[in-house]
Amino acid sequence: MLADATTLLASLAAAVSISMTWSFFSGAKWNPSGRHCYITGGSTGLGLALAVLLTRKGADVSIVARNEEQLAKALAQLEAARVTPNQILKSYSYSLNTCTAAKEALEVACEPHGGETPDAVFLCAGKATPGFFIEETEESMKKGMDNTYWLAAWSAMAASQRMIRTKSHGKIIFVSSVLGYMSMFGYSTYAPGKHAIRGLAEGLRQELLLYSIGVHIYFPATIFSPGYVEENKTKPRLLLEMEESDGGVTPEQAAQGLYKGIQRGDFHITDTFIGDVFRTSTRGATPQNGNFLKEAVYGIIGYIALPFWRRDCDQKVVAHRPAHEEYLTSAGVLSGGK
Amino acid sequence: MFWSTKSWDAAGKHCYITGGSSGLGLALAKMLAAQGAHVSIVARDEQRLARALVELETVRQSKAQLFQVFSYSLLTAEASEAALKAAMERHSDVTPDAAFLCAGKSIPRFFVEYTTAELTEGMDFGYWVQAWSAWFLAKKMVAQRRTGSITFVSSTLGLMTVPGYSGYCPGKHALRGLADTLRCEFLLYGIDIHIFFPPTMFTPSYEEENKIKPALTKKIEEADGGLTAEQAAMGQAHITADFLTDSFRVSSRGSAPSNGWILDGVIDLAARVWIPLWSTLTDRRVRAHREGHYQHLQEIGFFAF
Repeated sequence: MLADATTLLASLAAAVSISMTWSFFSGAKWNPSGRHCYITGGSTGLGLALAVLLTRKGADVSIVARNEEQLAKALAQLEAARVTPNQILKSYSYSLNTCTAAKEALEVACEPHGGETPDAVFLCAGKATPGFFIEETEESMKKGMDNTYWLAAWSAMAASQRMIRTKSHGKIIFVSSVLGYMSMFGYSTYAPGKHAIRGLAEGLRQELLLYSIGVHIYFPATIFSPGYVEENKTKPRLLLEMEESDGGVTPEQAAQGLYKGIQRGDFHITDTFIGDVFRTSTRGATPQNGNFLKEAVYGIIGYIALPFWRRDCDQKVVAHRPAHEEYLTSAGVLSGGK
Repeated sequence: MFWSTKSWDAAGKHCYITGGSSGLGLALAKMLAAQGAHVSIVARDEQRLARALVELETVRQSKAQLFQVFSYSLLTAEASEAALKAAMERHSDVTPDAAFLCAGKSIPRFFVEYTTAELTEGMDFGYWVQAWSAWFLAKKMVAQRRTGSITFVSSTLGLMTVPGYSGYCPGKHALRGLADTLRCEFLLYGIDIHIFFPPTMFTPSYEEENKIKPALTKKIEEADGGLTAEQAAMGQAHITADFLTDSFRVSSRGSAPSNGWILDGVIDLAARVWIPLWSTLTDRRVRAHREGHYQHLQEIGFFAF
């Protein structure tokens, strides 16, 4: 029995090493130079940092967002990063939370490219508005799903339909979050949508094999972006305290992390310790990334450490009860001393 | 913390069950009625609700038990609130002790073939139909300073997916995100959150679903088997009711609590071997389907744009 197990493990290890070596030599790394990259949420934060990175590598870049002022500033940054005179750098103002808008924005962005479909579509648009569930409104709940899931889904629909119709074999890159792997208090209007994006990406990775369209999905942790600053203005204090020790990365670092993940050919892309631990601990049926040893080690770390982390988080929440009750009473949610 | 098991006695408790007129919800309703609970069922179809009420009566344990049925479509916030209020009326407007949010259905299709309405509906039937109920329930429970439990019903497709379910699995994943958030957040109020991941259940809903399911999806699901609603209801005590789903639960647990940390580890080890093999095989099946699929797209006029 032990001999069988050893043989099995040895064969497995051999198979993994062979496949890793093969993929290292066989796959040409994705090169953005001369390719059209379409980026939603491209006027600030991760989207903008990505747009600048890709511009520097010689790509044609279209950024889409709502605020025209921010778009103008962003476009100026892209121009400053231009490396060849014939790069096509454009910005478009659209609110992408409907299918119609998503299709129209994409169509318009294809015009300067002779009607050709973009080679890569980066779905960075999104935002978080943390709060306590019982204080949410119907509108805030719907908006939460719009600003996470639907922003991604409609553009993914527009992009995949167009790629199939024009028989172009491009890439679609989703952006979820560590809160698409797990959740904790305060994120009831954010985590569901980010989990939903994961579900969609999993399904599409498989389905789009039918059309040779590649899918990636990025799970960042905290990014110190303008969006993050906004989010913290209304974030419950307990959540701010819990996240204090988390640290974070700049949008430029995040963009680098995402880009490298695409180059490695990773399906799920994580570039932080937190991200790696949760990615390897929530595998489900997700194909694993190339470094077999790393996956196994992080998986073990998660298996042992996460229950302790969760217990710690739970204890903090329980300890917060009296303060929370006071807060709810003063907010009129609870009638004082029933 | 790691190995606590709470057993719960349903006798005399008010159980609120959405999607309770058929399938899993009905099986659960009968199980709880047979244990002596008061049961309120919410669903859309009035005929089915009437039949469900008759079935509940067959397992009545005492005259004191109150069985109610209500016809509402729970896709909107408004309706979800009205349904809950209606169910609470005869219980002195006090919140239920336990809610089982079984309402939902799936519309399988290839992603690029969904209409806008269908994709939107997919999230309505997968996520909102339960989220609204949970939201009103929670607000009421906190305002009344009552504890209790809320159980979401996701799916194996809330832990992983196969081709053909992109209108459904995002909603089911979203439920997991919500449940994980609330499990933690509701420690503030002493309200318990559970989430159930049933596999294929041989129910009327399943038959409806199979009428439109893509052939490739059926092929991938071939070897799956499934449970009857009754079997699934029995499994509810342990989050998953079948080994396949349990493997996915365990390998995607992340920071969610587990019932058995050691057993989970053992299942996870096995999962690390067989799941990647399954995944590779499934990918191969998808690739093999390419030609057939392109023909299908031609036939439905996808390229005639």
